[in-house]
Amino acid sequence: MSAAVKILDGNTFVVSDESGDIEASLTDPTGLFSFDTRFLSRWILTIDGQRLNPLSVDDLQYFETRFFLVPGTGTVYIDAKLSVIRQRAVGGGFHEELTVLNHDDEAVDLEIRIEAACDFADLFEVKDALKKQGEYYTTVDDGRLVLGYRRETYVRETWISATEACSVDEAGLTFEAHVEPHEQWSTDLHVAIGRDVKGVTSGSLKYERHAKKARPNMELSLETWLDEAPSLDCDWDPLKRTYHRSLVDLAALRFSPLSLPGHYLPAAGLPWFMTMFGRDSILTSLQALPFASELARTTLMALGVWQGSRRDDFRDEDPGRILHEMRFGEMTAFEERPHSPYYGSVDATPLYVVLLDEYERWTGDTKLVRALEQQARAALAWIDDYADLQGNGYIAYQRRNEESGLENQCWKDSWDSISYRDGRLPGFPRATCELQGYAYDAKVRGARLARVVWKDPAYADRLEKEAADLKRRFNRDFWVKEGEYYAIALEADGSKVDALASNNGHLLWSGIVDKSKATAVARHLMSPAMYSGWGVRTLAEGQGRYNPIGYHVGTIWPFDNSFIAWGLRRYGFKEEAARIAAGILDAAEFFDGRLPEAFGGYERELTKYPVQYPTSCSPQAWSTGAPLLFLRTMLGLEPIGDHLVVDPALPQGIGRLELLDIPGRWGRRDAFGRGRLDLEKPARRGAQLGVIKPEKKQRKGKAAE
Amino acid sequence: MEELDQSLLDALAARSLERPAAAFNGVVRFDVDVGGRTDSWCLTIVKGVVTVSRKGGEPDCVVTGDVATFDAVLSGKANAMAALLRGALAAQGKFILMTALQRLFLGSPGADGLPTAGYAERQS
Repeated sequence: MSAAVKILDGNTFVVSDESGDIEASLTDPTGLFSFDTRFLSRWILTIDGQRLNPLSVDDLQYFETRFFLVPGTGTVYIDAKLSVIRQRAVGGGFHEELTVLNHDDEAVDLEIRIEAACDFADLFEVKDALKKQGEYYTTVDDGRLVLGYRRETYVRETWISATEACSVDEAGLTFEAHVEPHEQWSTDLHVAIGRDVKGVTSGSLKYERHAKKARPNMELSLETWLDEAPSLDCDWDPLKRTYHRSLVDLAALRFSPLSLPGHYLPAAGLPWFMTMFGRDSILTSLQALPFASELARTTLMALGVWQGSRRDDFRDEDPGRILHEMRFGEMTAFEERPHSPYYGSVDATPLYVVLLDEYERWTGDTKLVRALEQQARAALAWIDDYADLQGNGYIAYQRRNEESGLENQCWKDSWDSISYRDGRLPGFPRATCELQGYAYDAKVRGARLARVVWKDPAYADRLEKEAADLKRRFNRDFWVKEGEYYAIALEADGSKVDALASNNGHLLWSGIVDKSKATAVARHLMSPAMYSGWGVRTLAEGQGRYNPIGYHVGTIWPFDNSFIAWGLRRYGFKEEAARIAAGILDAAEFFDGRLPEAFGGYERELTKYPVQYPTSCSPQAWSTGAPLLFLRTMLGLEPIGDHLVVDPALPQGIGRLELLDIPGRWGRRDAFGRGRLDLEKPARRGAQLGVIKPEKKQRKGKAAE
Repeated sequence: MEELDQSLLDALAARSLERPAAAFNGVVRFDVDVGGRTDSWCLTIVKGVVTVSRKGGEPDCVVTGDVATFDAVLSGKANAMAALLRGALAAQGKFILMTALQRLFLGSPGADGLPTAGYAERQS
């Protein structure tokens, strides 16, 4: 298949080839998808039996695309007498406006056909190439083609119809079109999700022909969304583009949970992860807080109502635990997969409390904090009552669902991500270091909420005492003395899993790092073994399992770096935080402002451009959120009481940065940053940021000569 | 066909006293199909605490399904959300209330074949 074209609306999306056709195989993620189910796997346009050739694709909006086509699929362009336009918009299925233009001086009679079929595959089946257990049916009634699938009470249907007269058979629609010279013929095609996850037969589409403008299935249109976000001005143009791209992609990734219609949280990524995830939704909401706090609000409410309430081994659920992932497909419906929802994440629970506190600090919405008091207390209790699997007072993970549960339940979830310096893999349960940082932060923040909002000073005292105790023990038990960094994990027997990894940056963010150890940690993060020039590697060069294109063992993750920069700022390393922002923002330019999930850990000098890690997920929510968090750290935005404090530290190369109308408990406020622009060389503006060597070090060297 | 065992609902209500399912208010009606006959049960939630009756106020959410499905879901043999996705249960109205209620259902059986739910149960 040629390059994939993707449009979406919530968790309904279409992936097609560049001519707009869909020709999916079981393992291929093309088609019309909704609620993790494929509702169309074949959609092929022919004219007089011939496929069409793409001239161009216009991505009008994230939910709308226009394809320009000509007959014939040869590689040599022939002066076609016909051209075809397919304009497609997603919403409750999709709507396609098909137009055929006759450029000839003579009239033509054409047979235009759309072939349609569906395998109703669950996304999990697409990933794992599994066989279906139910039966298919196809019916033609009243000019409508119904594609259906039934397994016991599970029924999913796709309804296909057109506005122009056509003959409908079980494999598609055929039009006999007569087109006068220099005239056009057109029809609307409706592909409706007839029976969906709610079991309701709606079949209505959200797009009608000649409606003034196609609207996404969002109460808040894209324009309003962009209008309400702070506006950015900057003398380094790439940042403006990246900022705009991030806002648009974040709008596209909005997902409305079934329990909260009309409210939106960030789904994790397109196409595989258009659903609610504990970790991804929380971290993205944190990144986006200064820009769109509604995402955090919905995330907190939705994850709160789904908070674990019992022990359930199949779902790795415990009371108080925040979910990992919710799915809606057939395999989940028949409990062949545990995602209804699945709870196998060990960081989402403490991070839930972190987000609740950070949300209140920005918005002053104490009402929500009061409403979620029970959830926050249950989450904090989970840390001590259920997560201490090693019995040593640290959060650790080990799945109880051995069959389809997740082995690694931290963000670095690949099989080899947690290792010793020499490459050995530790056993389970595993207590990775960043989890202890999150737990510490959750207790400190929980204490603040208990004091300020819940008015329970005794509980606050207890949490603070526990936090202080955790910090003391952590700095003793995880610190690798000879290397001067924190081990990536602790084994059940107390052994330090001593690889040097980017998790150290998250520890700075959490505040668990002893002040006396922070300089050494920052030095490691900025060392050539970790900082490539583009960003901080997930695993340091020189470690046993280091591989510059290993998923969590050497690649650079923009989201990881945005939290590392936040951590560096927390401990006063402003310049280092700005350098990390510079590298990742430079990289964003190579991807038209859309940062990938991860890119290679190669030395910047070696490749000159960031090598994208091959992944099918783009845009990805927390990569989309990374530039937003970098804006926060570059401008040094911090809510203190009812005020927004601004303390900018810009990368070299940005002379002026303005973020206007930042919403929060203060109303709206502007933030301005002035950089140390080299006035002798104004031409450098617009160039890459990270290639400008840090001034201090260069000068120092020269002064010594 | 046997009707729904009320003790399952009573046990659910008892659990809600032990651990209220958040600050929800509303009425969820279970319309239970017993061999063609519909038995209705009203679960009234006030600040997360559930009371069960055969007749209640105007429902905010109506859940329909057969007696076998309700029995399985309430006794921890089947998962409520999965049953909804499967079409074995259908919910109309405020779905968030059903989400709040499902917190009080039992979990899937553990290795020993018994439901692993238990609010007082701890890891250690």
